[in-house]
This record gives sequence, C-alpha cells and structure tokens, in this order.
Amino acid sequence: MRALKADAILAICVIAGALLYLWSDLHLPTNRIGDPLGPKAFPALVAGGLILSGLLLFLEIRKKRRAMTAGEAPAHAAAPVNRHQLIILGGMVAWTAIYYAVFEQLGYLLATPVFLFALLSYFHRGRHVVNVFIAIGFAGVVYALFSLLLGVPLPRGPLGF
Amino acid sequence: MDSLSGILHGLAVAATPTHLLYTLIGVFIGTMISHLPGIGPSAGIALLIPVTFGMDPATALMMLAGIYYGCMYGGAVTAILLNTPGDAAAVMTVLDGYPLAQKGRAASTLAIAAISSFIAGTIGVTALAFMAVPLAALALHFGPTEYFGLIFFALSTVSALTGNSLAKGLMSTFIGLGLATVGIDLQSGIPRFTFGVVELQDKINFLVVVVGLFAISEVSRMVEGTMEGTLHIVRVQGRLWFTREEWRKAWPAIFRGAGVGFFCGAAPGLGGTIAAMLSYVLEKKVAKHPEEFGHGAIQGVAAPEAATNADTCGAFVHLLALGVPGSGATAVIMGAFIMYGIQPGPMLFQTHADLVWGLIASMYIGNIMLLVLNLPLVGVLARILYVPPGILLCIVLGIASAGVYSFNYDTFDMFMALGFGLVGYAFRKLDIPKAPLLFGLILGHTLEQSFRQAMTISGGDPLVFLRSPIAAGLLACAAISIGMSAFAARRRQAVLDQAEARIEADKAEPPRAERPRTEPAELPVAR
Repeated sequence: MRALKADAILAICVIAGALLYLWSDLHLPTNRIGDPLGPKAFPALVAGGLILSGLLLFLEIRKKRRAMTAGEAPAHAAAPVNRHQLIILGGMVAWTAIYYAVFEQLGYLLATPVFLFALLSYFHRGRHVVNVFIAIGFAGVVYALFSLLLGVPLPRGPLGF
Repeated sequence: MDSLSGILHGLAVAATPTHLLYTLIGVFIGTMISHLPGIGPSAGIALLIPVTFGMDPATALMMLAGIYYGCMYGGAVTAILLNTPGDAAAVMTVLDGYPLAQKGRAASTLAIAAISSFIAGTIGVTALAFMAVPLAALALHFGPTEYFGLIFFALSTVSALTGNSLAKGLMSTFIGLGLATVGIDLQSGIPRFTFGVVELQDKINFLVVVVGLFAISEVSRMVEGTMEGTLHIVRVQGRLWFTREEWRKAWPAIFRGAGVGFFCGAAPGLGGTIAAMLSYVLEKKVAKHPEEFGHGAIQGVAAPEAATNADTCGAFVHLLALGVPGSGATAVIMGAFIMYGIQPGPMLFQTHADLVWGLIASMYIGNIMLLVLNLPLVGVLARILYVPPGILLCIVLGIASAGVYSFNYDTFDMFMALGFGLVGYAFRKLDIPKAPLLFGLILGHTLEQSFRQAMTISGGDPLVFLRSPIAAGLLACAAISIGMSAFAARRRQAVLDQAEARIEADKAEPPRAERPRTEPAELPVAR
C-alpha cells in the first residue's frame, strides 16, 4: 500500500512538473522565420506526454488497488527506504557537495584525499593507515593519469602543480 | 563495400598494434567493471570517455565497445560465484550457475559461460556485419518523416518494455525528451528552459547525466549494501573444463541463445535482460528434463550467456546503420560518437568506412581476447570480488567526480551529476527505469528536428506522417508495442520476479554444499 501511495505522489508531482514546464514553454518568445512550428510546439507535445503518463500511472494504481483488495499480491513492490540509510546518504551528498564547492579553490591534490579519507573512515572503519594510503594513492594516480599522461588538466589549487 | 570485403578491410584496420592494445585494454577494463558492484557498462563507458580525449576516434571507440562486451562477458562470474548478477542481464545465469558452483562445478560452469559468450559473440558480430550494410542502404532513403517514425518507434518500445510499468517507462522517456529541449534552440536561436543559467544554454551534457544516473546513484546502492548485507562466495574449484556430457547438452542451447539474443538486441528496447529471460524460458521448454532447471542445468547457463552476448552485437546494428541506439550502453557509445564529431547512421559506412569496419572487426578480436582472459585467468580476476565495497564506493565516487570535471572543466557539471545521482536514487526507489530517460535525452534533439522539418516540408500538415508508408508502418508498430506492453509486461515480470525471489531466498540461507565464506570485515556486502 505504501508503494501505491508513493506512486500517487509521483503521478501528482509529474503532472505538476509538466504543467510548470508547459507554462514556461508558453512564455517563450516566438520566432517562426522559416519554421512554421517555432520553438514551442515540441516542448508542448512533451508536456502533454508527461501529463498523459501521470494519468496512466493513476490508472495503474487503481488497477493494482483493485487487485490487492481481491487478494492478489502486488506484482512488484518498490524498494523500501531505511531512515538510517537515508541520513547516511544525505550526509554523503552534503559532503560531496562541499568537496565540489572547494574543488577548484583547493585543487585536486588537496581536496580529493581529504574527501576520500573522510568517506573511507566511515565505510572502511578502523583501518586508518590503509585509508590514508588509499586516499592519497588514488588522488595521486588519477592526477598523474589525467593531468600528466592524458593531458586533461585537473585543478591545481594553491600547490601550483 | 560489401560485408565480406568490409570485414577483411576492418581486420586489417583492427589488427594494427595500437588498435590491438586498446581493444585489449577495453575488454580487460570491461571484465573488471563487470566484477565491480555498482558500475554497469553504461557508467563504465561514460566514466572512461575522458580517458579517450586526444585519441584517434577509431581507437577510442574500439576501446569503449570492448568495455561494453567485456562487461557482458564477465557478468557471469559474479552470477556463478556470488549468487548475484554482475549486470541485470545475468539474472537468469544465477538460477543454474550458482547451484552448479555449489556442486563443485564452478570452474567448468565458468568455462561453459566463457565458451557460450565467445561463440555467441562471434555469431553476433558476423550477423551484425551482414545485416548493418543492407539496413544502412535502406536508411539512406529515409527523410525526416521516416526518421521521426523510426525514433518514435524506438522510444515507444523502450518505454513499453523497460521496467515494470508502462506509465513509468513513458514518464522516464518524456523526462528525457524534456531535458533534451533545454538550451538554445538551433533554428530560432531562442534559449529554452535555461532560467538564466548560462551553462545550460549549450544543452545538458549527456555524459554528465549518464555518470549521475548510473555511477553516482549506484553508490547509494553500495552504501545500502555495505550497511546491511553479507556475501557468500563459492571458491573457483574443480577442473577448468567441462565434460563431454555437459558440452553435448550446452551446444544446442548456445546456438539457440545466440539467435534469440541477436534478434532481441536488434529490436530497440528489448535489451539483454529480456534476451536472457527468453532464451532461458525457451531452453526450459525444449529440454527433456525441465525439472533440472533451477537446480544446476548447464543449458540454463549456456543459453542466457549466449543470448546476452549476441544481444550486444544486435544492439550495434541500428546504432551503426540507423543512428538509433539499442540499449543504454549503446546510447552512451552514441554519445561518444557525437563527442568525436561523428554522427552514427547510414552515411557512416561511406564517410567513415575504416572506423566502422575496424570497430566491427575489433569485436572478433576482442572476443578471442575475452576467451583467453576468461578461461585461464578467471580465478585471478575473481580476486576483484574481495575488494571491500567500502573502498570501492569511494573509488567510484572519486573517478566519477574527476571524469565529470574533465568533460568541460566546470564544477557546474559536477553539481549537475550529483543532482542526477539523486534523481537516479529516486528512480530506483520509485521503480522507474533509467534507460528510457537516456534514450529520450540522446534522441530528443533528432526527434524534434525531424518533426519540425517534416512539418515545414508539408506546410504544417500532421498527416504527412501517415502518407509515408515507412513512417506510417513504424508509427503503427509503436502503437502496437505500447498496446501490447501491459499484457507482455505482466508475463515477463512474472518470470523475472520468480528469478529474483529465488536469488533472494538463496541469499537468505548459506550455501548448501560448502561452508559459507563470509568475511564480515572485508566482504560485508551483497549487491
């Protein structure tokens, strides 16, 4: 039943998003020189398709609900969300966003080992020496591969190399 | 150039030392990726595209294609030894591969999987070479109306056949199409849906989306696994060759699996998972002892492995001949083609004959390399399974970050990839398929251009799409595939649900024939 509720919320979000997209589309400036349709027509069709898919999802939910009341097991349930895992993932996303924010200022060789060491300290606990070695070694190998071998420069930061 | 001359010409191109080296690197990386949890072929190829900057396009594409079919080859290893499919397509291999390994036949089962993959891969490449040329010749007559019909058909089959819900498949496709409209409209010069963000004017980078959806979001799966799972590995033991009896049972299954797999690959949207499932069901139907299936029938390994490998070749048919990808991974390879300034499609065989024939021929060579890698070195390669997932997830995130930055040297792309990683997580939790979004994003621009050109030519008459017999036929096929999907999806899903339930049930209890090799400190995870 929880999966059906999530699906219903998804359908509402998609329809709302499609209406917002359509509203933005209708406010685009018009320029039809050499093009009878202009830039608005295709996005309008896409918005229509999104709204239709949202409505179709409502139909599927109704069908599943009927099947469940008739005693059939749901064909495929969505994976449940674990609150503790969600907190860990949220922290990981925030830490990654901080890493990206300082990526150019600190440079690859300073930012990456710190970023990786913090993650490894949680996900590969108690092995600090190995974790330090992996964090520094990985950053060094990737930097050498991209910047020195492949000529794809990564940010230098205050270290200057 | 006819197909036979093309293959011979391609062999001359692919057999140069540089191309041989990069094909070897590609298949080796592909095999390693298939052993790593969390990274599938799509993410693996996308992550390694920056490594190919500065390379000759033919060399780079040979390496990227090698990663793709190397991944499909190696998916059997985790399926047989870990009771966990290395990629989605290997889900059927688990059903009989793991019980065989538990009976002490791990090495011979891996050998059968490798031989099946080799034979099916070789048959698939040959069929690709002979089918792509006439298809490309036919596609040369396609105008915008026919291209609209073709892309519409491809998108509808992907929406209808991927995932468990038609509505969610369509949703994913339309989100992809919507993302494809972001940026400056080439015909009118008007920026659309950029909301004043300068970086979005040049459209959303396809590769950033791939890395976010397929690599960064998969890290979340690894985090979940690290926090809750245990893993039972069966050691590679026994003679690394199969018995005469096993071969007698396996070879017809290999040929049937190759046929099923190639045609599934050649139909856009069906993909390796369906190919493996259909070949498994077919084998069970034709078997004298169907009750053996699920308890260690060698045909249950040979057929799906052959099907998934032939499927990869089939997926290249319309990528090379029509410019329409057949799977998520070929969509990423198409992105690489476009990045190198090459438009895949019917003209490819004329404008880049060296590249396309070299690429096809490199698949023959790559198949031989994979056989050599997978037979004697399987025990060595399987050691990758022992890398702690806590380390792997950090490495995946590190590679993804460096790779995304190197696309445009812009941290905006990194934030966007992180955003798409969250979208991928939400898609997984809500059971929305990701591949249709990729298809919508990469084909959206061509679909819109074909639509607008056709409408311009016809003076705004939408019936133009029904006047062309090819376009009308393709649109009719699209309508049929959508209409049929509800019924077909139920049956298909029932088979896949049974397979997944079996795998989960097996994981819940330790292996029967051998003591579980659980290493909580080093191997705490099931995918």
